[in-house]
Formats: sequence, C-alpha cells, structure tokens
Amino acid sequence: MRIFAVDTSAKSASAAVTENGEIKGEFFINTMLTHSETLMPMTDALLKSTRLSLSDIDCLAVNTGPGSFTGLRIGIAAIKGMAFAVKKPCIAVSTLESMAYNLSEPDTVLCAVMDARCNQVYNALFDVSSDIPQRLCDDRALTIDELSKELEALGKKVVLVGDGAKLCFSRMSGIECDLHIAAENVRYQRASSTALAAERLFEEVKTVGADTLMPQYLRLPQAQRELMAKQKLSNK
Amino acid sequence: MTVINAEGLKGTEEVGRRIAGALEGTEVIAFFGGLGMGKTTLTRSIAEALGCEDDVSSPTFAIVNEYKARFNIYHFDMYRITSWDDLYSTGFFDYLDTGVLIIEWSENIENALPDSAVRITIKPGKTEDDRIFEIEGLDI
Repeated sequence: MRIFAVDTSAKSASAAVTENGEIKGEFFINTMLTHSETLMPMTDALLKSTRLSLSDIDCLAVNTGPGSFTGLRIGIAAIKGMAFAVKKPCIAVSTLESMAYNLSEPDTVLCAVMDARCNQVYNALFDVSSDIPQRLCDDRALTIDELSKELEALGKKVVLVGDGAKLCFSRMSGIECDLHIAAENVRYQRASSTALAAERLFEEVKTVGADTLMPQYLRLPQAQRELMAKQKLSNK
Repeated sequence: MTVINAEGLKGTEEVGRRIAGALEGTEVIAFFGGLGMGKTTLTRSIAEALGCEDDVSSPTFAIVNEYKARFNIYHFDMYRITSWDDLYSTGFFDYLDTGVLIIEWSENIENALPDSAVRITIKPGKTEDDRIFEIEGLDI
C-alpha cells in the first residue's frame, strides 16, 4: 500500500510517499514562494530520490480543505492531473484531520487551527491519546474567542497544531486551559500526515476518481456580517 | 493622520513617490474616494517609484493586477466585490503578507481590511486637478 500525498493548503507546501504506515520520503518547504512554483519540482525530486514513478503508487492523496483559496486549487489540480495520467484512485483528506496524525500523546486533545483571517480560524478537535486519532467535532470556521471558550470548557490538556497555532497560542495566553503549542517539526500541515490519514481512509474504501476531487471550502461565520462598513458611497 | 493638498497631476505623483518611500513591502493600502479621484494615477506613481516597469491600469475586469517591482504589488479593484465569497475567491486573503496590496474601492470590503491597513481618502481640491489626500496608518 503505497500513497503519494501533497499539501498546499496554507503557506507551507509538502509532498510525501508512505508505504504501509511508514514515511518513505517527504519534501517540506515553508517559504513565501508560490506553491505553483514549488510543488512540481518537489514532486519530481521526491519521486527521483525514492526511485519511484507514479505508476508504482497505489493511491494519490491531497488535503482538499479547508485552506487558502489558491493553495487548495494548486494541490488538487496537481493530484487530479497525475491521477488521471496514471489512472489511479484519489483520496480527499480534510486538512484539519491530516494534522491529527502529526503527533499522539496520552490524555491530550489536539486542536488543529488554520488562520482564516479577520480573527477567525478553521478548526477541528481530535483525541490523540491512541495511535488512531478520534474526531471530536466537525470541521468548522469560528472566531478565536469562541474557540477559547470551548477549550476552557474542555478541561483537558490541549496541543495546538496548524498554520494558525502560533496566532492562537499568543491570542489565548490568558485563558484557563492547559494549553500547549506543538514543536516546530510537528506544528504544520505535512503531506506525510495527509498520507497516513489517507491510508486509514483507503481501508474504509473512501477513494474517488480524479474527476470528482473538489476543494472543500468552509464558509466563514463572518459571511453573515456586512462586508461593506456602510452603504456604497457613489456610483461608478 | 497626514493631510496633503496636492496641486495638479504633478502633486498627486509626488504623493505617490512619498508613499512608496515609506513602504516596507507588506502593507495593505486602501483607497477611499469616488470615480475620477485619481486612484489609478496614485497607484501608478507608487508603482513607478518602486521601480515597476509594467503597465499600471485599473483592474476593473481582472479584479487584481500583479506588478513586479522592488516588492510584489497587487492592485485590486473591489468595485464588483459584494460578498465575502466574492472576496475569498479573488485570493485576497492569500495575497496578504506576500507583497504590497493597493486597493481601489475599499469601501466595498471595509470590514475585511486588516487593522494595520493604510487608509488613504482622496477628496477634490480647489481646482479640477487638485486633490486632498488624507493618509492614516503610514508616516510619509
């Protein structure tokens, strides 16, 4: 069971190959470079270094959301193209769920957070006490204040992961919660975690064809609010 | 807040150069002011002062133009943006922190502007070609 996975959901980008639960290779980059410039060279380098070609892969996986509008489309388009070319099945992984595979710790709730801007985050909670993460809520978008209140009510040790972890950790400094931030090497979205999550989903026969892979955007709660501060001032 | 009375086209261009000189590379510059106030002219002056050799024109149809200069410049026209979904699908949130964002018709997305945004209100001056610039959030 060999999986090739990519993540381009936020600022960092990565590609990885796993085989039966082991990471065979991974390329991670966290610069300001555009994913469209880095993803294919990373993929090429990874496959060459692992002496693999796409036809050796059983399944292609990608984080399909939530995430940045452009980022998600880059990763999904790349996986669609590759899967179509080699006629292999695909697996869509929730970006937040993928991060639940970054670490496991006893008696710990993993809080995956992604910066959705305007003081909002994309979030899901997972029990990561065992090797297999247990989801505690659906993927959602909410304000940092709302999430703080929920974490206080949990009364458990919480570890923040994701591109929004640093933001939340500094904004939540005063809350009554045993709050930690994941170490840098396990903090961000990682394609290796996407691949490990995909292995589980593969076992559950949750594969799809390249043509049905779609971005999963989460509607921001602020969509309820006015975008304009006041009425349009004048006509163009 | 800095208020500048700019005389004629040359005055507006000088304001553009002064703004450009104060930029660090990741600012969000939000223009307020109606049609014909010189938002595109001001953008062109800022871009030129940053070494941009691309044509600068209003991105009315494209919604966003990208220019290469000392910093990446992303020139938005938000006139047709009326919902959060519209805004999200322009990639606006992906562009933040990757360059200087210059935004025409900021009125339409005022509640999505970061707190740190530079706000520039353009008003008519004494003569047809004069303008009054009110600049908040940037020392020029």
